[in-house]
Amino acid sequence: MFLYQIKTALKSLRRNPILTALLIGGIALGICIATTFVTLRHMYMRDALSQKKDQVFYVRLDSWGQDSSLDQFPGGIPNQITYPDARGLMSSPVPVRQTPTYMTKMFVHPDPGVAEPYQAEVRMVFADFFPMFDVPFQYGGGWPDAADERVEPVVVIDYATNLKLFGGENSVGRSLRLRDRDFQVAGVLAPWRPGLRIFDLTRDPTGAPEPIYIPFNHGEAMTLWAAGNNSGWKRQTINSFEDNIQSERIWLQYWVEIPDAESRGAYNDWLRGYIDDQRALGRFERPTRFAVTTIPALIEEFGLVPNGVKAMSLVSLLFLAVCSLNLVGILLGKFLSRIPEVSVRRALGASKAQIFWQHVIECELIGLIGGAAGIILSIGVLSVLGRFMDNGDALGLDGEMLLVAAVLSLLAGLTAGIYPAWRVCRVAPAMQLKIQ
Amino acid sequence: MHIGPVVRAMNHNRTRVTLIILEIAITLAIVTNCVNVILAERAKMATRSGFEDTGIVRLHTRPFVPEFQDEAFIRTTVDADLQAIEGVPGVEAVANTSFQLWEGGGSSTEIRPAGSSSAPVRTQIYYGSQNITQSLGATVSEGRPFAEGEHGSGSGEESASVVIISRALAEALFPGQPAAGRSIEFVTGTGEATGDPYAIVGVMERFFNPFGMPGADPDPFEERGLFYPQRAGSYAQGLRYLIRVSDPGDMAAIITEIERRIVEVNPGRVVEFEPVSEKKARWFATSSLMVTTMTFIIAMLVIISALGLIGITALSVAERTRQIGTRRALGATRADILRHFLIENAIITAAGLALGIVATYALNVFLVANLVDAKMPPMLILFGIALLLLNAIVATLPPAFRAMGISPAVATKSI
Repeated sequence: MFLYQIKTALKSLRRNPILTALLIGGIALGICIATTFVTLRHMYMRDALSQKKDQVFYVRLDSWGQDSSLDQFPGGIPNQITYPDARGLMSSPVPVRQTPTYMTKMFVHPDPGVAEPYQAEVRMVFADFFPMFDVPFQYGGGWPDAADERVEPVVVIDYATNLKLFGGENSVGRSLRLRDRDFQVAGVLAPWRPGLRIFDLTRDPTGAPEPIYIPFNHGEAMTLWAAGNNSGWKRQTINSFEDNIQSERIWLQYWVEIPDAESRGAYNDWLRGYIDDQRALGRFERPTRFAVTTIPALIEEFGLVPNGVKAMSLVSLLFLAVCSLNLVGILLGKFLSRIPEVSVRRALGASKAQIFWQHVIECELIGLIGGAAGIILSIGVLSVLGRFMDNGDALGLDGEMLLVAAVLSLLAGLTAGIYPAWRVCRVAPAMQLKIQ
Repeated sequence: MHIGPVVRAMNHNRTRVTLIILEIAITLAIVTNCVNVILAERAKMATRSGFEDTGIVRLHTRPFVPEFQDEAFIRTTVDADLQAIEGVPGVEAVANTSFQLWEGGGSSTEIRPAGSSSAPVRTQIYYGSQNITQSLGATVSEGRPFAEGEHGSGSGEESASVVIISRALAEALFPGQPAAGRSIEFVTGTGEATGDPYAIVGVMERFFNPFGMPGADPDPFEERGLFYPQRAGSYAQGLRYLIRVSDPGDMAAIITEIERRIVEVNPGRVVEFEPVSEKKARWFATSSLMVTTMTFIIAMLVIISALGLIGITALSVAERTRQIGTRRALGATRADILRHFLIENAIITAAGLALGIVATYALNVFLVANLVDAKMPPMLILFGIALLLLNAIVATLPPAFRAMGISPAVATKSI
């Protein structure tokens, strides 16, 4: 029966090709616009560890002064943590993975024959960083935990750096001079460009991840100052790196991975205990407050999806609604002009439901064909849009967006067709036969 | 002409009437709100920083030789750099500064009138060498720019004791009074004054620097800014300059010459130039993307809804061919028929627009509450109404004329 209905629907569509093209074009345009802007919005959330969204957390502590204002921070809690706290939190046994992290800048001295010295952004991390953020590797991998403890000179470089310095070969084991020290390449990243640089939200969040990663503990050994956001409330003279890492200034991000809910409760308890201990030492003047936040909540709290992008995706959905609404009129005309035929079918025994479903299926066929055309169009539009955006490389359809586009197409077909189909199925058989 | 038959005819075709009304309403709501967002974004993009953005280029030198780890060496290099850049023909002014236009971020601090106990005011704060206001092309409307010998050099004995502040900051500190000649003090988090007071030597008229990320508005500092005279730079952060040229058209040639002279001063560093106009364009990338795409959506929407209206009106005329013929046969003139359709369309369009105004405000209230800060000006609604009226006229006249031409003989024929 279903196949028969599809066959009938196709026949009906072929009968008036111009009208059919108009209907399909209308849906295609609506789907193209809607898919494009919903995808644009989706880009900001995509790759933000969706499969681990309730396992990886950003940790913030209210280490601020009693009377100092917190208005400048999203959520009213300091957006980063201090160096003493980064060291303190590392002692917690609860998280399965954890790392403090910050960005510094270092001079890279390639082989003189290969390239001039240049300054690069370097992210300081513990080995846990790579598996925690599902960082993809082309060659090698992260360094072993032991390299963190022994402060070994190991480095992970990204795809582009490997291309530039080592011609894209497997450079694992080769040596790279950073400032005045030789580092050994432990891993090379595969091309990696998430829509949001989620692990450091205090800088432009749409920027690309840093090209170079070295063990966090080199920070103290090589006095590597943070080159990112840095705030404070206490007036402290900072003349040396030593002053810097003992100060109450906040300049580090802290991430933990805790897979199960029970341990999350335990971690909250552990944090409370940690703050109490620190208070006993004269820190943490304010009431105990901390935030252990999932990535989606963080994206919301820091307002990382530009409002313009949200507004555009809303408007594009309304645009699709207008397209469907337009089709209602056309379909109504098309179906009603078919009343004589329908009444004959009714007289020959077709049920109301069969007539209704046959017409709905015809509309859904239009929706699907139009949707497919719209998706192809939007792939083109997205690639054009991507060229105008900083993080445009991350822009593109993925499985999830294809599904959304397909559902939108079916919905648009249904919106356009359900009323005309209902109208036409109510035709009384005898009446029409009589007039004829 | 009587309204009665028109209304009865419409009542007979409720679906079609409802469809057109809905379509007009939604189109009005989307078009006006899109235009509104476009206008708001364009206004944002036209924000004047108070500086001559188009003529300024930023120079960042990043040292990689160890001499730069010595503070005194940095000081002499900065002086030599400034002198070298000033000597390039076409350069109006140059300053060594931590201030970077159209970048977001920076430093902030709290200050208050010296010796007072009034609530501290938070402001952005930057260092700049002697010619900072000139290199920005800023108007110093009260007092004067920094003078020779006022600039200090980082930490210690040489540090300065004067500042230049923005008009907005002056108003916040000394409402309605001249600020030049007064003094301010820095305040700690606990509300105590620290260090010696600083004398205000000048007030610059405008100071706009987006402190947040792009899209993160409103700006928390509302044009409050403060400069203190100081040369600085470090091995880690490099030495940064803002250079204003007299003719932006010569920028490329001037940059080449500056690069040559800078490398002559000290070749142990990487030199990067970035015209402020490029930074500004990048800052507004999302906004301009939004303006382009919204314009595109509006154009498509107007075309689609015109096509939709044409289709549905044509259909309604075709459906009523026999009725029209009958009316003509019973004595209605061609003018009566035309009038019937025009009145019908006028009523439908009016109803659609009325509903549309409600929908427009509803959508706008939602957008303002959640997404964009752009209230709907009444003029814009009038514009949207005019546009859709035009749209309705264009869409309904041809079918109405076709209806007028239906001959009475049609009524006597069977289908």
